[in-house]
Amino acid sequence: MVHSHRRARVAIAALLAGAAASTAATAAARTTPPTAPSTAGTATAGTAVGSATAYADPMTNFVPDQGAKPVDCKPKDGPLKAAWVYIGPINDGGWTQAHDVGRQEVQAALGDQVVTTYKENVPEGPQVAQVLEDLIKDGNTLIFGTSFGFQDAFIDVAAKHPNVCFDFATGYKTAANVGQFYGRGEDTDYLTGMAAGAATKAGKVGYVAPFPIPEVIRGINSYALGVQATHPGATLQVVWTNTWFDPAKERAAAESLIAAGVDVVASGQDSPASGEAAKAKGLPWTGYDSDQSANFPDIWLTATNYHWGAYETARAKAVLDGTWVPGNYYGGIADGFARLAPFGKLVSADTQAKILAKQAELSAKPGSHLTGPIKDQSGKERVPAGQQISFEDLMSMNYFVEGVIGEIPSS
Amino acid sequence: MSTADPAQAVAAGGEPTEHPGSPPAAAVRMSGIVKRFPGVVANDGVDFAAALGEVHALLGENGAGKSTLSNILTGLYRPDEGRIELDGRAVHFDSPRDALAAGIGMVHQHFRLVPTFTVAENVALADPHGIGRRQVRHLRQELAAMGAHYGLAVDPDARVWQLSVGEQQRVELLKALHRGARVLILDEPTAVLTPQEADALFVTLRAMVAEGRTVVFISHKLHEVKAVSDRVTVLRHGRTVGTVDTASCTTTDLARLMVGRDVVFRRAERAHPVDPAAAPLMRVRGVSAVNHRGQPAVRQAGFELRPGEILGVAGVAGNGQRELAEAITGMRRPTAGSIEVGGSPVRLGSVRAAHAAGIAHVPEDRLHTGLAPSLSIASNVVLTAYRRPPASRGPFLDRGYIRRHATELMSRFDVRAPGPDTPVRLLSGGNVQKVLLGREFASDPKVLVAASPTRGLDVGAIETVRRLLVQAADEGRGVLLISEDLEEILALSDRVLVLYEGRIVGDVPAADATAERLGLLMGGGAVSRDVG
Amino acid sequence: MRSPLRFERRLRQPKWLSLAVPAGSLLAALVLGAVVLLVTGRNPLSTYHRILERAFASQSSLSGTLISATPLAFTGLCAAVAFRMGIINIGGEGQLFGGAILASWAGIALGDQPVWIVLVAMLAAGAVGGMTVALIAGVLRARFGANEIITTLMLNYIVAIFLDYLIFNSKSYWREPKSFGFPKGKQVGPAAFWSPITIGHTAIPRGFIVAVLAGVVVSVLYRTTRFGFEVAVIADSPGTARYAGMRTTRKIIAVMALSGALAGLGGASDVGDFRHVLDAKGLQLAGYGYTGIVVAALARLNPLGTVLVAVLIGGLTNAGYALQGPDFPSGLVGALQGLILFTAVAGEVLVRYRVRRAVPAPVSAAAAGPPTPPVRAGA
Repeated sequence: MVHSHRRARVAIAALLAGAAASTAATAAARTTPPTAPSTAGTATAGTAVGSATAYADPMTNFVPDQGAKPVDCKPKDGPLKAAWVYIGPINDGGWTQAHDVGRQEVQAALGDQVVTTYKENVPEGPQVAQVLEDLIKDGNTLIFGTSFGFQDAFIDVAAKHPNVCFDFATGYKTAANVGQFYGRGEDTDYLTGMAAGAATKAGKVGYVAPFPIPEVIRGINSYALGVQATHPGATLQVVWTNTWFDPAKERAAAESLIAAGVDVVASGQDSPASGEAAKAKGLPWTGYDSDQSANFPDIWLTATNYHWGAYETARAKAVLDGTWVPGNYYGGIADGFARLAPFGKLVSADTQAKILAKQAELSAKPGSHLTGPIKDQSGKERVPAGQQISFEDLMSMNYFVEGVIGEIPSS
Repeated sequence: MSTADPAQAVAAGGEPTEHPGSPPAAAVRMSGIVKRFPGVVANDGVDFAAALGEVHALLGENGAGKSTLSNILTGLYRPDEGRIELDGRAVHFDSPRDALAAGIGMVHQHFRLVPTFTVAENVALADPHGIGRRQVRHLRQELAAMGAHYGLAVDPDARVWQLSVGEQQRVELLKALHRGARVLILDEPTAVLTPQEADALFVTLRAMVAEGRTVVFISHKLHEVKAVSDRVTVLRHGRTVGTVDTASCTTTDLARLMVGRDVVFRRAERAHPVDPAAAPLMRVRGVSAVNHRGQPAVRQAGFELRPGEILGVAGVAGNGQRELAEAITGMRRPTAGSIEVGGSPVRLGSVRAAHAAGIAHVPEDRLHTGLAPSLSIASNVVLTAYRRPPASRGPFLDRGYIRRHATELMSRFDVRAPGPDTPVRLLSGGNVQKVLLGREFASDPKVLVAASPTRGLDVGAIETVRRLLVQAADEGRGVLLISEDLEEILALSDRVLVLYEGRIVGDVPAADATAERLGLLMGGGAVSRDVG
Repeated sequence: MRSPLRFERRLRQPKWLSLAVPAGSLLAALVLGAVVLLVTGRNPLSTYHRILERAFASQSSLSGTLISATPLAFTGLCAAVAFRMGIINIGGEGQLFGGAILASWAGIALGDQPVWIVLVAMLAAGAVGGMTVALIAGVLRARFGANEIITTLMLNYIVAIFLDYLIFNSKSYWREPKSFGFPKGKQVGPAAFWSPITIGHTAIPRGFIVAVLAGVVVSVLYRTTRFGFEVAVIADSPGTARYAGMRTTRKIIAVMALSGALAGLGGASDVGDFRHVLDAKGLQLAGYGYTGIVVAALARLNPLGTVLVAVLIGGLTNAGYALQGPDFPSGLVGALQGLILFTAVAGEVLVRYRVRRAVPAPVSAAAAGPPTPPVRAGA
């Protein structure tokens, strides 16, 4: 059975870390942002728009837990054994594949100092603890979790094994030997929205969205603001699928949006199925979480992509150095965590230049696209003029901004 | 060649105005046909010949070999021995396709039509060369012409599922005519028709033979055979009894031929004669019932059964026997009527009530209704008794008692099996029936309803089963013996009821019951006079 | 086209076969697996050693195996109980969800009551929940003849959507109000955590003990009671059941209720033993209901055998996770698991059928084969 269903991506961690994370993020902004423009359509898959310019050290976006002590999870002898636990298959073309690319980067960066392994297709549920115990029995002392539903099992098992370090993506609970990591997809979502806004003629973009949770909502809002930046007055119509991965459902949702008159389709899902619906009608499409430029060359605009390897390499190094501490990581554009996928040929040079300029700005000032005045759907002002949304409000966002058509069910 | 006006023939009450003395060339000749199936010889040297331009009836009881013979003629079976000639030339059919190509068409009892297709599409489907879209228009014209010519009017664009059964039969006939069938075989064609539809069919058949086709008409209904056919070939036990000119025979003659005059009945010895003055054990009054399609199957049946009496119920299959047995044993709720056993009314439509009243049932289809074939003998002998002690205590079965009981019954009824745990499906037919009879006798019934209790059994087993039935009667029980086997009815019964189209058309004491008389009644021979 | 080999149903199933065939199947699976492993450049012996060790040999791995086995034992029993009467209930999935919904309600509502009261209440609620879902299909089948394959399958989807509704699209009693916006279930109270029973180093989930007891009860019910007798007769011959005056309609409803209740207990165990919340997505991803059908089929619908097969499959699942990694693709793990299940089923066929070389039919010049004569030719 293939579980390509993904984790819940809740960076509540950062909420708990509060202002500290904001500070760290701002600190990161001081490093050199990537700015070199690329030629449309020529960038190779997996390469971020911008360039391979050196990114900031991810640890600048890491906030240690207060009073946290280093955990000794260094092996007695031999290389460090590190393991990744995935919910999907490593070739899902999305979430899990991106994580496995991260694992391979760790292996490549640290060479024979580390032996990496993984367990794929692990369902959220009672088996997770058993899989973790197995990994620990095999001598793994650094374990990465990549699905929200694994969180409780990680916390439970971590308590029994104080000399094993756990790093968890997209959760919110930390412990003496459990850290959390994730980052600012909303910044690149804004840039993706700019490409969509430039592409829509009717001023109507449709968004296929997974779950009505803050992480997704802030992505949709950012996307909508991006659309309006390049096409003032355009609307973003949202349909919920209540799944991370269900090609049939995603496609049906996209078709319903197209039937409602949108002429650009956006995906917040793990599968490219909504792209199939757009392709059938020849409509421009933005993806999510994977670079689909090769599969949809005629309709591809761009997408938000995540890069986990740099942070994970830093954490493995920390174990080897004996300096691993629990804490929260919230990456961004500056340290190369959130990157824009290569532009498709539908994105004009002019639009690319606009987007890259904005990318440089967001790299320097993460989250600054969410600066007031921002009104919600009812016209009520949510962020006052001139003020950037607070980190707490960003993490618990539960309203749609003006111009979004759709509703958030009982949040 | 018959030149008879078919309409006139029918109007004349089944007496053809003219018939050929000695038909010239045989359109179909089958000689020395032998067909064996495992354990059964279905055709044992059958000779049959039908001439050009005649309606030739094939008459016989169920299992006489009519269907096997027609299946051989249509290429479905290959004969083990024998020879088939068409127009004097030997033919050899390897498949139904060969027979169709040779001009033999068949209208089965169960139609071979695609319900969701139109009439024209169904006919096109049967076309040997295949019919394209453009030719369908021609086909519709052809169908209209044929319909007018033969009295087979059907809307070519109607979907088959919308048609009545009679209309569907016309589609089958049109199919055969479209393929150019020169020999048409109709298997019990009137079984599904109303009398008016049947009359219309006869007109059509006469029209077809009038232009030189040959019709083989399979039936066991005497008056129909008399009404429509020129000649009759009678089969019995897989052999040809003879071929006669219809006009030269009465229905009584045909009945005698069909049932067999040379059968020597050996009356079973009985310990006590039935006391005609005794109070009836069971009284059935005005019982009517419908079959599984909701059509009337038993009409106003009424009779009384006395202690120690074996009451035979004769009839051709499908005349309401099954429904009557089920109505009495509670498996089918009658639409009208009442049943009393020992003077008290029995709640109708309840197996448990019938059982509690002392009615035991030996069903016709033993292995599907009566026994659970995959379960052990032990389980099967308590199929009705498991609810009460000693077979069960509270919610639990007493497995020990059940095995002992089964072992005892096995020795009492001479069931040959490795042990009480043997699944019933592994037993021979006779042993299966002994398990069933043993169980029903063990319940000490007042009335035993036995449907075709010896069907499919070998001679030894038949003797045993008959002996048990006689023994049951000698013990003072009433036995209702429902059978299509006249010989069995005559050998065992004290009195015989005859069912025809769900009605009891005869109530004949054993002394007066002859095969001829019963055969006539079974074929509905008495109905035209009595009921009209 | 005719195969040169024919399968014939065995009239008797020799006793020795029922022992020899499973053993032979296992051996065949190991040999075939070894070939696959050798071809792909792996050591079969060390691989098998690891499977054994990680599934059953060590006490802590046995704990993990029982965790995987528990839900499968319940859904397996659910399928076995219904299939034994010829009712094809493939709704174990939705019935387990139904049980989880009511059991988590009980767990949340009574979470501060004494442990035993909560345990019993959750089990009862779970059984009722599963039963309710199953009875919808049961009544439709019994009263209107609706095909239970279709209705139970449809109900799986319907209950799944209802689960989504409870957790994702409503402010239901089951939804955690303080989950930082992410829709998830409310955790049950502390007394509703079923602590496992530890023997040595092996932790036995309470649900597993319930499953074993349920297996025993079902076994006794089907082997020794009037009810079980009626089920056997109805399964073998509905016509005969009618002839014997058995109330088939009621029995269908009763068996569906029992079947659904067993799956519902599995839902209660999922909440009490393992997840402690109503996990809408996790339950749907697990596919317990469908795997349970495989478990029941492999156990030849024997209730105690079902529990045993659940443990074997649970062990195989866990060993599968232990095996896979960068040098052991999960596809290969799946192939090994598939081989073992395949040979088990093939062995099952050998118990029931014997293989014969087909006797060539008398060949005629015609291309068409002879039509098969009907068994009951007009005699």
